[in-house]
Amino acid sequence: MKNILLALLVTTGLFAANHVVDQKGKTFIPHAISVAVGDTITFKNSDPFAHNAYTDDEANEFDIGMQSPKIDVKVTVKAAGTFNVECAIHPNMLLEVTAK
Amino acid sequence: MKYLLFLVLFSSFLYSSDSKYEMGKKIYVQTCLFCHGVNGKADTDMKFIVKPRDLSKTILNEEQSYQVIKHGAHYWGASADIMPSFKSVYNEKELASVSYYVSKTFNPDVEKKIQKLYAQSDDIPNDKISKMLKRGKKIYKRNCSWCHGLDAKGDGEATRNPEMSIFPYDLSKTLLSDKQMFLYIRDGGKAWGTDKTDMPGWSRKYDDFTIKSVVKYIRKNFRKKDDIK
Repeated sequence: MKNILLALLVTTGLFAANHVVDQKGKTFIPHAISVAVGDTITFKNSDPFAHNAYTDDEANEFDIGMQSPKIDVKVTVKAAGTFNVECAIHPNMLLEVTAK
Repeated sequence: MKYLLFLVLFSSFLYSSDSKYEMGKKIYVQTCLFCHGVNGKADTDMKFIVKPRDLSKTILNEEQSYQVIKHGAHYWGASADIMPSFKSVYNEKELASVSYYVSKTFNPDVEKKIQKLYAQSDDIPNDKISKMLKRGKKIYKRNCSWCHGLDAKGDGEATRNPEMSIFPYDLSKTLLSDKQMFLYIRDGGKAWGTDKTDMPGWSRKYDDFTIKSVVKYIRKNFRKKDDIK
């Protein structure tokens, strides 16, 4: 039974995908992604200045803090739904995440 | 007799305005033109880390321009020392003539523009002040403090990145009025004459109430009106 549970957990982990979102030219690239619950999103920063990514979505709330150039930060999608991710420093940056 | 007196007074007024303008123009050509250009648009071939202000778009009025010319931009919160102080170069009369020339020539309607734009924004009743301060604090901490710092000294976390090239203002030294601050936050620096987009416009994200709340929070905590001397 333990082995089955372990196999299940490993398999679930194996199937979780990672989605890369770059921050370049004060834009999220791509600006919309579809993910599954349990997937991860890696935020890259290709700009020569700091960024941030956060969402106020209650079920998926996160704030990665200040993200220096060339630093990657990974977050996990916790719940289904559509929510926006923004940068607290650059108001025109918007990423729409649809989680199923 | 009355008409004669009027004529004499009017002529002396014309003469004094005219000579003030000419004095300012002369100093501008001698000193300011190399950075701000012939037309005030700062479109010269000079290379700068921070490009000089486009004077045809500046939000500053004549008196504020005078203060910046006299003391330099750093005195009023700029973190880059590009615009120096000229108080040891020119006397009061000469300094006043330059700001007179700059205001009259490049952006004569700035005060009217500010009044008009502000009048078009949402009017917030006075009884909302406590709500505004709460909202202003939340938004300042979430958005503004990255660059301007929690104490508004212009030394936020984002400035500590070695690759950074941003120069946020020390808001505890700003000479902007509430109306000017509101418009500057709403429209961003580029709309008011800076070359860079480091200070973005926040109107896409926040309504007038929120932006005015941030101004109230800054004014109450970092830069009281009485502090501007």
